[in-house]
Amino acid sequence: MSASNCGCPGAKMQDFREKESEVKDEIGKRASQLRQWPIQLHLVSPQAPYFQKADVLISADCVGYALGDFHKDYLKGKTIAIACPKLDEGQESYVEKIKSLIEDAQVNTITIMTMEVPCCAGLVAIAQESLALSKRKIPVKSIVVGIKGDILSEDWVS
Amino acid sequence: MEKYLNTPIKEVITRFTEVGTILEQFNIGCVPCSVGSCLLKDVVNIHNLPDAQKIDLMYLIEKNIYPDRKIKKPKIKPCAKKIDNKEIKYSPPIKRLVDEHILIKKLLALIPYIMEILDVKTKSGRELIVNIVDFIRSYADKFHHAKEEDILFKYVDNNLDIINTMLEDHKAGRFHVKSIVDALTKGDKNAIIKHLMEYKKLLTQHIKKEDEILYPWIDRGLLITQVGEIFSKFNEAEKNIGEKAAKKYKKFIEDLENYTNKCVVKGRRLLRRTTTKGGRLK
Repeated sequence: MSASNCGCPGAKMQDFREKESEVKDEIGKRASQLRQWPIQLHLVSPQAPYFQKADVLISADCVGYALGDFHKDYLKGKTIAIACPKLDEGQESYVEKIKSLIEDAQVNTITIMTMEVPCCAGLVAIAQESLALSKRKIPVKSIVVGIKGDILSEDWVS
Repeated sequence: MEKYLNTPIKEVITRFTEVGTILEQFNIGCVPCSVGSCLLKDVVNIHNLPDAQKIDLMYLIEKNIYPDRKIKKPKIKPCAKKIDNKEIKYSPPIKRLVDEHILIKKLLALIPYIMEILDVKTKSGRELIVNIVDFIRSYADKFHHAKEEDILFKYVDNNLDIINTMLEDHKAGRFHVKSIVDALTKGDKNAIIKHLMEYKKLLTQHIKKEDEILYPWIDRGLLITQVGEIFSKFNEAEKNIGEKAAKKYKKFIEDLENYTNKCVVKGRRLLRRTTTKGGRLK
């Protein structure tokens, strides 16, 4: 594995191509577990029927690429919204939108999936702010994914 | 060994006392359990031991039950030392139950002091017991145990011994409370003390079993959607009981802590003065 000396851990170049040899169980096709469109947090509507009382997954953009079993283990059975807390513009509206998911769509739970890089933690902070502003309280879980696709932590944040 | 795996743990420990000590080494506290109807195999499975420790535990138990039998020792490092408690992470609804236990434990901690100042002859003394009974019935039972019995336990197999053990504990608690009320009517101070002590002993063990074994076990089996459902049902249940109940009983315990503290300090000061003056207790 090689790494550049870039200062930001979120943008630091890393090469883990040797992981190819560790690949297991690659036979057969897998069905997508995506049940809706659109999925970008700016574009989704809390009024959409698939958000009502749903278990919602709010995922940082990179998670779906890093996690090999993302569809099977994390997306299945959930309604999704994706965002990038580092690069997306207009993130103030994310707070209101997640608050609306909690209050108007009466979602059952929210799972936030982020990458281990520090800038990703902003997504958890956004969800926590939404929850603090919301009159309704729900369980919120944070799952942190390593850049090599391993689960680093799973914690209830509310 | 199959026979003993399907035997209630109390029977196993009664017959092979060393098994209780072995379980304690693995932080499995079946020895003081008042019921002990859980099967040995369930006891081993429910405690979420890492595989290596589970194999180690089963080897030690089997060796104790059949000392003459040649049992192949598993190729793992035996756990000679006590195993450290891992930090338990509860889901939000289960965490709420654990937090409610904190208030109940505060009452349990006050019971020895309440016994010191107990006076069934005065109106204020009788009121104190009435208020304690109200806390146990309304908060510990209606507010807390009802959430377990009507909601949480519905998510697991109700026929499991561990659930039956918890339900039996709830029943036993209600019996002690009823006995306290009966004793108060008769002005029987000794009976009140006896049942308060029994209640303290029962609930202390009960809460430990729930916090350390039952709740983590239930949590491990819950899907995220069930966690959300339970959370929402708990909210609904609390709304029905009255949302002010939690605040009211939290305040009651705070006041009770201050009151018992004042009374005990005053009483001990008086006692010290009496012993100093007279040289001995009057």
